[in-house]
Amino acid sequence: MVMNQREIHFEDVIEGADIPLLEKGPLTTTHLMRWSAAMENWHKIHYDRIFAVEHDGLPDLLINGSLKQQFMLQLLKDWAGPGGWVWKVSFQFRAMNPVGETLKVWGRVAGKRAVDGYGIVDLDLGIVNDAGKESTPGKATVALPFRDGPPLPYPFVAPNA
Amino acid sequence: MPILTDEIKSYIGFTSESEVACDVVEKGAVRRYAQAVMDEDPMFWEACDHNARYGGPVAPPLYPTLLFRRSFGAPDPIQENASNPDFDGFTSPSGQGLPAIAGLSHLAVLNGGSELEFFRYALHGETVVVQQRYADIHERESSKGPMVFVVIEAEYRTSEGELLLRARRTQIRR
Repeated sequence: MVMNQREIHFEDVIEGADIPLLEKGPLTTTHLMRWSAAMENWHKIHYDRIFAVEHDGLPDLLINGSLKQQFMLQLLKDWAGPGGWVWKVSFQFRAMNPVGETLKVWGRVAGKRAVDGYGIVDLDLGIVNDAGKESTPGKATVALPFRDGPPLPYPFVAPNA
Repeated sequence: MPILTDEIKSYIGFTSESEVACDVVEKGAVRRYAQAVMDEDPMFWEACDHNARYGGPVAPPLYPTLLFRRSFGAPDPIQENASNPDFDGFTSPSGQGLPAIAGLSHLAVLNGGSELEFFRYALHGETVVVQQRYADIHERESSKGPMVFVVIEAEYRTSEGELLLRARRTQIRR
């Protein structure tokens, strides 16, 4: 589903507010195989259950960290809209997500500030499974235009520190 | 028993030569990628209002980081390891100009996380270049024994030198 259809401006952002959740799944072995093929990564822990469990001692096939980070970027891109820019994203893979889980990618506005010419929004992020367990805590910084301001610079120019 | 040796630590600071991705940003490859991540945003496929300010159809933001694949005619690790029961299939980071760390080759690889900074999308048809360095290698004790954290910094640019993104990745070896 494409959500990247509306404009959001710095003035619209409320500190502490959740941004729209992105849900992916249930993620099957076929999803993982399709992603492995698209990125040409043949790490067996994503498609060879015998190797994952018996050789690497994992509980099951694992959802790729590289796939989870794509979901985080999608969440932010869709929220920032075509006028915004996802500047910084960081996350840690703290827990494994086995195949079959449905992932809910969330974000919450942690703070906002105006800089020269546009606005900056800091967010907390994460990915939880059906049981509500967090696997991928992170943070992001998104630039948004002012409602009556100019478009963001592109290529993006970071604000002066 | 600690894993980290002075020989392994000597890799810290090693900086690769610039490596050019073996393929340009191809429309078909972008389609497969966008479909695999289930983000069929028109901006990744065709010229539209949303990519007008980017100059036309673009690749997803992390696409340049996964563009460094085995070039045509290069040795095939899958075939070379066809009789190796311990081969885990993990081949993708072998390129990008950094040498494999010999003292860690027997350990499994897990993705520990990333810090990313984005400046520009890659357009369809553009060529991507990367330069990487081993920024840090350290060890921590965990409940499952010692783990080594390998931190790799990378800059991805177009062949014209325009900065696309910076990445600082942590690879866990245990």
